[in-house]
Amino acid sequence: MAKRDAEAGAEPPDDYLEAAIQRLLTENTEIAEQGITVTRRDHSVVLCGEVESAQRREEILRLVLERFPQVPVTVDIGLIRTQAPTEVEELR
Amino acid sequence: MVIRIAAVGDVHLDQDVVGRFRPALEELPDTADVLLLAGDLTRHGTESEARCVATEFGGLGVPVVAVLGNHDYHCDEVPAVIRVLEDAGIVVLEGTNVVLDCTGVRLGIAGAKGFGGGFAGRCASEFGEPEMKDFVRTTSAISEQLGVALREMDCDVRVALTHYAPVPDTLAGEPPEIYPFLGSYLLGQAIDSAPTELALHGHAHAGSERGTTPGGVRVRNVAHPVIKQAYSVFHLHPPYAGATAGKVSAVSASGIS
Ligand SMILES: [Fe+2]
Ligand SMILES: [Fe+2]
Repeated sequence: MAKRDAEAGAEPPDDYLEAAIQRLLTENTEIAEQGITVTRRDHSVVLCGEVESAQRREEILRLVLERFPQVPVTVDIGLIRTQAPTEVEELR
Repeated sequence: MVIRIAAVGDVHLDQDVVGRFRPALEELPDTADVLLLAGDLTRHGTESEARCVATEFGGLGVPVVAVLGNHDYHCDEVPAVIRVLEDAGIVVLEGTNVVLDCTGVRLGIAGAKGFGGGFAGRCASEFGEPEMKDFVRTTSAISEQLGVALREMDCDVRVALTHYAPVPDTLAGEPPEIYPFLGSYLLGQAIDSAPTELALHGHAHAGSERGTTPGGVRVRNVAHPVIKQAYSVFHLHPPYAGATAGKVSAVSASGIS
């Protein structure tokens, strides 16, 4: 599995690579993110979503690069805003 | 008398998040009567992460009532997590309820984590391998507890709090293939078995905010990535369903199996 992952960068990322990255993001307890989508582009993968801190975004990039060094990765992950609401919902 | 409910789920706290919610939370005593937390309070369910939750959501000046989520179960430290939260004054509901006095109106909150299984016509069945039967039985048992917890309360207003979704409406935006892992219609059926005013849940990070149960109870997904603010605030206006019993659905207590 690990060997295959390492080789995957030579060709366009396939379904198994997508699944492997998704599992890493969820099951690695340093990340434990289920809300990140992994999208394949022609020769790279894009990680998209929102997390609770800037450290988590950096940790995701670091771990994905460490585990899949030959895969070009683009990270498009934002921070979830934590401002107080400006409106309330009236339920009548 | 309007009841003001603040709610958020899926804050997934660890050390790196502590302090981010606090400025908005400080406003709560002026804007809400209670804060409800819809599960996934921690990153992966450790006692030390629970301490972060206690720091962030403790001592707010309004009652805080929570259910746990799947992330809070990951490290098998649930009793320790609950103890830390309760020591900070946070009420944790697991198939149980609490009735709060909101300036003369009795607000009843029944809560349970919930579980998956899917929605009518596209759901798992209690049939076949033991693992599959266990999966469905887990959801049935939790839903049954939720229904009892809702019905048995002596209160004016009922709110249901879960982590998993009781309806598919608030999952819009999630891949349809994973709906069975995001919620169960059995939770909706439990909510409809009582004159419930509002049902709040989290878990579906890519879902949407609004839905209704088949019985007409309003459902809101308050997962933090969905609401994109520290919490949402809902104002419940009288007359309440609990007081008038006008919204009791036809689902009988024994209808949940
Ligand atoms: Fe979550
Ligand atoms: Fe969750």
